[in-house]
Amino acid sequence: MDIRTPIGQAVFLVSFSCIIGFGSNLVKADAIPWIATELEIADSITPETESTDPVLLAISLNQAKNLFDDGILFVDARDDDYYTAGHIQGALKNAFLMELIFSIEAIQEKNMPLVVYCGDPGCGDSEDLAYDLQDSGFNKLYVFKGGWLEWSKAEYPSEMDE
Amino acid sequence: MTRYFKVQLVFFFRLIVGIIFIYASIDKITHPAAFATAIGNYHAVPFGLENMMAMVLPWLELLVGVCLIAGIMVDGAAIMCIVMNIVFIFAISQALARGISIECGCFSVSTETGDNIGLETILRDIAYLVMSFVILYRNEKRLEFFPKHV
Repeated sequence: MDIRTPIGQAVFLVSFSCIIGFGSNLVKADAIPWIATELEIADSITPETESTDPVLLAISLNQAKNLFDDGILFVDARDDDYYTAGHIQGALKNAFLMELIFSIEAIQEKNMPLVVYCGDPGCGDSEDLAYDLQDSGFNKLYVFKGGWLEWSKAEYPSEMDE
Repeated sequence: MTRYFKVQLVFFFRLIVGIIFIYASIDKITHPAAFATAIGNYHAVPFGLENMMAMVLPWLELLVGVCLIAGIMVDGAAIMCIVMNIVFIFAISQALARGISIECGCFSVSTETGDNIGLETILRDIAYLVMSFVILYRNEKRLEFFPKHV
């Protein structure tokens, strides 16, 4: 590799970045795994509130409906416009994170179960928000991957913003 | 006068692209897990490789930015700018074409301050791409310290 040629320089920059990137990840306190893993899918859910074991699982439409029927709080991770156009009945709006945290805490404790959803199985906002909420101390989080698309198709209880 | 203008323009573009890449790298370096999630949301990287990308890409952006500003390996840095911007444009376009509404993860990987992808994101990357081409195909290599003669 001749570092005086443009291609040699590009190869050097990529190689050097790999060394720093991988190397720094080895020594960082918040290191991430080499390969990303999908969010684990819940086999069965027992949202008991006594346990303090942290939970962050993906759930199906049926599981989401069961939690909804049990009165579990839902949080909509989509933008305002989508929320206004239609959302799961009683779901909280995704405001600024601190505002959302205050809204949730006004309703329930941090160790109570919470379902987060976004638009469809392809969107990642629900997972992002779930991780943010987990970092903020909420420890029973369920990500409804099917989101608004599956819920509205199933014609389950929903409402529009007033 | 025209020559002077061209030299100034190239240096100006080097500064602009360099500062943007350095700025874009900082939040990603400090929040690798959030950046990995942002990459994963594009659904364009197979086999869970988004984590490895999240480890390397921010450092590459930082190095490229520093090289452009410092006048070190400017050709290589410009090539990497072009490659990265093409990848970004492709990733954003395919996400938009599939109707995925996600945050860009371009400058901030925080869900509070990040901006969503859209046509303006693509236009912004095209502008950086054009500037990178101008830098790569510059006539005069002024204010560059390594290599001296290519």
